[in-house]
This record gives sequence, structure tokens and C-alpha cells, in this order.
Amino acid sequence: MIFIAPSGSQQTEVAEPSVDFATDEVVDLQVPWVVIVWNDPINLMSYVSFVLQKLFGYSKAKADILMMDVHEKGRAVVSNGPREKAEIDVFRLHEHGLWATMQQDT
Amino acid sequence: MKRRKREGPVVARENDMFEITLSADDRSTLLRFVDELSEILAMGPDDARLRRLFPTAYHENPEHDAEYQGYMRDELTQSRAASIAVVKEVLESTELITAGQLHAFMTVLNNLRLVLGTLLDVGEDDFEDDIDENDPAFGQWQLYGYLGWLLEWTISALSGEDN
Repeated sequence: MIFIAPSGSQQTEVAEPSVDFATDEVVDLQVPWVVIVWNDPINLMSYVSFVLQKLFGYSKAKADILMMDVHEKGRAVVSNGPREKAEIDVFRLHEHGLWATMQQDT
Repeated sequence: MKRRKREGPVVARENDMFEITLSADDRSTLLRFVDELSEILAMGPDDARLRRLFPTAYHENPEHDAEYQGYMRDELTQSRAASIAVVKEVLESTELITAGQLHAFMTVLNNLRLVLGTLLDVGEDDFEDDIDENDPAFGQWQLYGYLGWLLEWTISALSGEDN
């Protein structure tokens, strides 16, 4: 079986993405949600760009800019909208193996 | 397992169809690998190797995330199983395939890479070419590199870049 940890290997805990934004306890329904893609060392750059083009209909140029933001800045906002739409976008990104989360825009 | 770039394993054909030109050996290796993924997925999303396949959705709000995972996890598992079923058919036949089938092939290749990459604890500066052949994980790194190579070709074909 290939999915067995090689002997002597040690898994380091990868921290979940976390951001220290001052959050308001009151959820404002008017404030849109943003979907964020986080950098990870496994997904190929070409793959991230291709998925953004396919899922959101972005041009290659726009998808490449977002992908480079993810790569260089560690994250990029790839879509926004009401909470239900953001959840669907996150789900589709997860389906494609991208590290996506959502938060209310601040 | 080095191949020259012009010998692409995924080729666009007429009428928006594609051909995967992998050898029978490569196909059976991939099929075995895909079966392993199915087995791990069947154990449930809490297996540490699947961490990257079932990420957090609400990173700032564990309560919202628990709620989200409650209604989306099963759907995500089913979606992955559906893609795997498509890919098994694709690998078991040498017939031309549609863009939709190739898209499923792409996502499953990426799933395999994510699981293997998680297991190998791949970091930003790790490259499969740098791994010593005496490393106990050498074979897994080779496979990791192979999957990346195949994935790049699949993306090129779907993007219409190899015509």
C-alpha cells in the first residue's frame, strides 16, 4: 500500500489558516462574505489557476494574478457575495482540493 | 520514469475528445492507487491522511464550521466517490474520453497528490528530484513526481495548450 507513512518519517502539524481580525460580534446581514484561497505547498500553480478559471469563469490573466497572490502573499480573495453563495464557492473549491475558507468582509 | 515533454500522455483529439496514451502498466498502477484512495475515503473523513481533502470552511468560527461540515461533508465524500468511479472507467478502457471525464481524471489525480503530499509532509522547498534513492520514501516521492507530471499534461490538454 502506497499510503503508508514511510518508516522514520514524522508528520509536522500544519497550522490551520488563522487571521487575527478584530471581529464584530453582531453579524451584519448586509456585509458580504469573502472566499479566500490559502497557499499550500502541494497544489500546482497551473492547477490553482485552471480551477479558478473553470469555477468562476475568470480569464487566464485574472486567474494567474489571483494564483500568484496566493503563492506570494499566502492568500487571495477569489469571490464574494451572500453567505449561501460563498458556501457553494467554498464547497466547489474543496471539491477541487483547494484550501478555501470564508469570512464576513471587514 | 523521465519522459520528454513532447511525448504527452494526454492528447486532444477531434470533436472535443481526448486520449490518454498511458501504458497498460501505468494504468494498472494508477488504478491500484485509486482503489487505495477509495478505501481510505470509505473509512471516513477523520483519517489524518484525508486532512487536505476535507478542509475547514469557516476558519474564524468553529461553530459555523461544525454546522457547515454537518451538511456538506457527506456531499463532498459522494462527489469524490463519483469522480473516482468515472476515473476507474477511464483507466480501464483505451477509448477516447470527453472533457468532463478528463476533468474528473484531473481532480482525482490531484486528490491522490494531496493525500500522498500530506503523508510525505511536503513543504514549500521540497522537490521530488532532490530525494536520495536510499530514502525510505523514495518510491513515494517518485510517484508524487509522476502524478505532478501527469497532472500538468492533463491541465495543458484541458486548457487547449497542446494542439
